[in-house]
Amino acid sequence: MSLLAQVLVSGVLLGGLYALMALGLALVWGVLNIVNLSHGALIMLGAYVTYFLFTGAHIDPFVALPITAVVLFVVGYVIERGILNYVIRGPMFNTLLITFGIEVVLTYLAQLAFSADFRAINPSYAGSNFALAGVTIPLVQVAVFAVAIGLTIAMWLFLLHTRIGRGIRASAQNLVAARLYGVDPKRIYALTFGIGAALAGVTGGLYGTVSQINPYIGGPLTAKSFAIAIIGGLDNPLGVIAGGLVLGLVEALTALYFGSTYRDVASFGVLLLVLILRPKGLLGRTT
Amino acid sequence: MSASPNILDVRNATKRFHGLVAVRDVSFHLGRGEILGLIGPNGAGKTTLVGMVNGTLAPTSGDILFDGASVRSLPAFRRAHLGIGRTFQVMKPFPGMSVLENASIGALFGAKGGERNLRKAREQARESLQFVGLGRRIGQRADALGGPDRKRLELAKALAMQPRLLLLDEVMAGLNHVEIEEVIEDIRKVRERGISILVIEHVMKAITSLADRTFVLHHGEKIVEGPTDEVLRDPRVVEAYLGKKR
Amino acid sequence: MKTKAGIVVCAIVVAVLAALPWYGNSVMVQFGISVLLLATLAQGWNIIGGYTGYASFGNSVFYGLGAYGVAIAMVQLKLPFWVGMLLGLGLAVVFAALLGLAVLRLRGHYFAIATLGLAFIMTAIVSNLEIAGRNIGLVLPLLKSDLLFYELALALLVLATLTVFWLSRSRFGLGLIAIRENEEGAAVMGVNTTLYKVLAFMLSAAFSGLAGGIYAYYITFIDPVGVFDVALNVKMIIMAVFGGPGSVLGPVVGAFVLSTISEVLATKVTSFASMFFGVVIVIAVVFMPRGLADFAERFRRLRLRYFAENVRAHRL
Repeated sequence: MSLLAQVLVSGVLLGGLYALMALGLALVWGVLNIVNLSHGALIMLGAYVTYFLFTGAHIDPFVALPITAVVLFVVGYVIERGILNYVIRGPMFNTLLITFGIEVVLTYLAQLAFSADFRAINPSYAGSNFALAGVTIPLVQVAVFAVAIGLTIAMWLFLLHTRIGRGIRASAQNLVAARLYGVDPKRIYALTFGIGAALAGVTGGLYGTVSQINPYIGGPLTAKSFAIAIIGGLDNPLGVIAGGLVLGLVEALTALYFGSTYRDVASFGVLLLVLILRPKGLLGRTT
Repeated sequence: MSASPNILDVRNATKRFHGLVAVRDVSFHLGRGEILGLIGPNGAGKTTLVGMVNGTLAPTSGDILFDGASVRSLPAFRRAHLGIGRTFQVMKPFPGMSVLENASIGALFGAKGGERNLRKAREQARESLQFVGLGRRIGQRADALGGPDRKRLELAKALAMQPRLLLLDEVMAGLNHVEIEEVIEDIRKVRERGISILVIEHVMKAITSLADRTFVLHHGEKIVEGPTDEVLRDPRVVEAYLGKKR
Repeated sequence: MKTKAGIVVCAIVVAVLAALPWYGNSVMVQFGISVLLLATLAQGWNIIGGYTGYASFGNSVFYGLGAYGVAIAMVQLKLPFWVGMLLGLGLAVVFAALLGLAVLRLRGHYFAIATLGLAFIMTAIVSNLEIAGRNIGLVLPLLKSDLLFYELALALLVLATLTVFWLSRSRFGLGLIAIRENEEGAAVMGVNTTLYKVLAFMLSAAFSGLAGGIYAYYITFIDPVGVFDVALNVKMIIMAVFGGPGSVLGPVVGAFVLSTISEVLATKVTSFASMFFGVVIVIAVVFMPRGLADFAERFRRLRLRYFAENVRAHRL
């Protein structure tokens, strides 16, 4: 019983990180209609930025997150303005292909710059745990969960209550009308993609504290982000939290009862089930 | 083939979309070789009703009988094989294919499963295209056509299927007087081939020229039915279109 | 439109390619095998992605099933190669039918993601199967005859291309194109869209499976990660799209061109090759999004304006 509780807690904590991971992707998908296959690569870059700030400048990873966010925001802004803008009104399939191309380039450059060695971010408090009702909880995982969920909710509030956030939502629904209200589409699109990249970057930084980093972590993480976004439902901004938690729990429970080699089967199995039975996602609106 | 005098019998058809009832308990029939008019203000449910006949939409309740046999559970493509053809208000061309290929699909897959031989199918398609006046454009891409030509293509596609029942959903929208006359003449010729037709229109000239009988939908319900000229003079119909007299 | 002259040209090209093992060196033959298999995959994808308009990101599943069919037949069941090929083909086609029924009712990017998910799941499942050697993989009996594999791969590519050629002028193929152009329109005109989509998927899977079978015997060792490689999906799609999806020769040309340039760069500037694909994709999607086939058709008329028009049409 205590083992089950342990696993459930792990699953929930992981779920928080997963929610943040999918948030950037869902935002870009929902607003720009861009299926960003380079999302994982941006996460990977964020992880490396945080890693080097930690090992090079001795900045605590959690403190380094805002810096990572800014760096990745700029990267995302440039990518959108400089490349994606040129294909954005074409068939959606093209954004799939072009972001894949970007992913390949980023992964290659990372491998060139950082080598394929595994790295990890291990601040001094990495090993500390605390116990709660018979369950051991690593401090870092709780911090990651808190930051992730906090940022997700902050993002949701940002989209609902700030001028820029409303501009972004307006552009998602009706670009022509938004233009008439003074929204500059080029700026908004680049801004949105930049925010998506920043969120990915922060995810990477957090990811580096609980798991290992190498240039190739991007691919599977992109796939998982899709799964989470779809499971949660693209319509609802809080859907990513639902999707993240579902996936975190499914993975944790699968690892417990079937062994960790079946984790991917379970995650993508859930994705397939959702696509087949309820394509709008768990929190999506059924029209 | 049953002995029923009607090629189409719609009984108590109802369509509900979540909270909204788009079509409520509508019944009507279409006799063999008859032209039936369907009119009503925008949003009355005409397209929804027709969608239930050709299989695009499944009725929430009620039955659709074609040639005396129920088709309500048949998918759209099977109804096409039985001989139900339809044009769409929001047209559905195959943009990347040529005009000839567009119509050929109708010939290849239409009534009785269509024509297996490509050459014969193309002949059938060419015939339909010439009938509607698109003979000169058969080599052009469908997305290169202008508005009225697109409407003609929509009709040609349906005709190439060699339907026994043809559902025309606002084929005249956006046409000028000359074009309207041409299409009215075309529809008359289609009836002469023995095809039964349901004409949905806002262009009243088409209804008066073609339809023997007409019925009217308003807010999803049938409010009037009868000989066309009587229906068009009925005060309830005027009210439906123009609102209550003050 | 393929004229008689075009067919003669193709026949000559095939003859020249078939004779390669005699005038080329062993490196070229090996390169040839890998290009021919990739071209077959691209052509197979063309059937479901190019003609039917359902961009599958999971054809690597059928490639892997074909490979494992041959491997299991030869290693575990001690059966000859051609029986293994039949087993691999059978597995691929049956899975395509079952999976197709489930996911072919999804549209556009949902379908793409569902098939991508399938690719990941298959890798994970096979990694746990005893008969497939788990994640250690299987070692097949060795046959040192690159010549045989080369000619087999060439024959398979020719078969795949002939099939697509037949498709482009058959009632079935026109039905598929109609589905791609307007699925609902096709259905109301009498096309049994579900049946046709599943058949197209099965046909696509068949070629992917046969290619995988040849690959397994050729490479002598397979494991789940290598053979269900998710990146393989993107490679075949890029080659098909670059060459011209929905055309008969596009995917083949795309595969040859991209592979050759990649190989040439790999020998000149070793590490750059892996980044090459990425850069080419980005440039191609911006300047020639409809692939080489469309480029060949319209460049003559438009010259450099072709590129400018593509950009103007799609930029914000």
